[in-house]
Amino acid sequence: MRTVIASKKPAWITLAVALVIHTLLLSAQTSKQFDTSFVRIWLLASLGPFEKIVDVSVEGIENIWSGYIGLIHVHRDNEKLIAENARLRMEGIQKAEDALELIRLRQMMALQATPIGKTVVARVIGKDPSPSGRSLTIDKGIKSGIGLGSTIITHDGVVGRVIISSDDYSIVQLIIDSQSAVGFIVRSSRRLGILKGTGGAELEMAFIDDDNDIKQGDDLITSGQDQIYPKGLPLGVVLSVGPKLGNFKVVRIRPSVNFGRLEEVLCMTEHLPEVDTGQAQ
Amino acid sequence: MKDRITTYGIIGKFAISLIAVVVIQGILAYRIRVFGYFDLPLILSIYYGFTLGRPVASVVIGSSIGLLQDSLSNVPMGTNGFSKTLIGYLAATAGSKFDVDLPVTRGIAIFLFTLGDGFLVNILGNMTGSTSSLTGNTIWNWLTVGVFNALLGMLMFGYHDRVTRAIS
Repeated sequence: MRTVIASKKPAWITLAVALVIHTLLLSAQTSKQFDTSFVRIWLLASLGPFEKIVDVSVEGIENIWSGYIGLIHVHRDNEKLIAENARLRMEGIQKAEDALELIRLRQMMALQATPIGKTVVARVIGKDPSPSGRSLTIDKGIKSGIGLGSTIITHDGVVGRVIISSDDYSIVQLIIDSQSAVGFIVRSSRRLGILKGTGGAELEMAFIDDDNDIKQGDDLITSGQDQIYPKGLPLGVVLSVGPKLGNFKVVRIRPSVNFGRLEEVLCMTEHLPEVDTGQAQ
Repeated sequence: MKDRITTYGIIGKFAISLIAVVVIQGILAYRIRVFGYFDLPLILSIYYGFTLGRPVASVVIGSSIGLLQDSLSNVPMGTNGFSKTLIGYLAATAGSKFDVDLPVTRGIAIFLFTLGDGFLVNILGNMTGSTSSLTGNTIWNWLTVGVFNALLGMLMFGYHDRVTRAIS
């Protein structure tokens, strides 16, 4: 092994072999001819415990630093209460949205409200190791009922969805990721549309034509039409409505969730009920 | 037998450092916002490339650390693997052909490698449909990461020089 590593002659051969392997791996995932997710699941399952150990150690140091050792139980209770409070606030937001919906429905027709469904509280244990990446690692996986596509929320709004899940850990694609898209409704005008991640800290509306009535400060909630995120969850606020760029306007959105300060998240473990958005617009 | 133990020891040491860097990057970037501007796996690939001066070892290290990085990321497996493999090889080749002992040279090299890595990852992301097209924000982000990486890399290399000098 040492002689192989020390030898300089076959360097370009090793380089070529390594590049071909990576190209084949990329190609296999793009063409979807071979399922390579097992490699990632295996690596996530292997690295997850390390990440959790380091996270717990860092948190331990933070706890010693910020509080008294004797207050650990109080701290734990507080964490439980924060999680419960988050869940209750989420339900409150949902109920407020349901009430608004009810008023509209009385005028039009009776439609079923969207329940949040069963949720599991998970802890964020790490962030994407690439500077340009927009994903998080959480400490819950298949064993807790989380799977591919599970919706991740907080009391503030939508966080993202699960893209890889091992038994105990999952990777969550944030809605600000450049490959993410969410269906939205403007709370006041009930206009429907699609929000896209920019890869930065904001979201952008896709395909907004010139004659729209969207204005700065408008609240956006999920429409449920994407069949990923349930209807009525807060998404963000319109930050600016820019000038026309090509055929469409650039509308920038500030997400309702502060992605830099996420500690606990709610993972929806139940499959979404069918959402009828026919009353919107 | 002793040789085999030494070889396993070296491989183990490298493996631990690779895992540690990827995990620490994920935790620190989440806990301390400024670490989101560093790319520790890239710095490590360049560091080993420059200090080992062995292209084969640098290719293996770059390849492994890239794959580990991909596994905790939302890009397709192989994106960072491809990029870090090439960066590792180029760093090792540059390290054996040019004088990379000066801190300024190292800083500039790390900055340029960071831009190259960002460019490669973006091209591969576009080809596989995992990232959107290049924007001003993306380039600004690369430049910021490049400056942060260069500063941290210079510190790391300075420390490496000091340790090497103390041993010899």
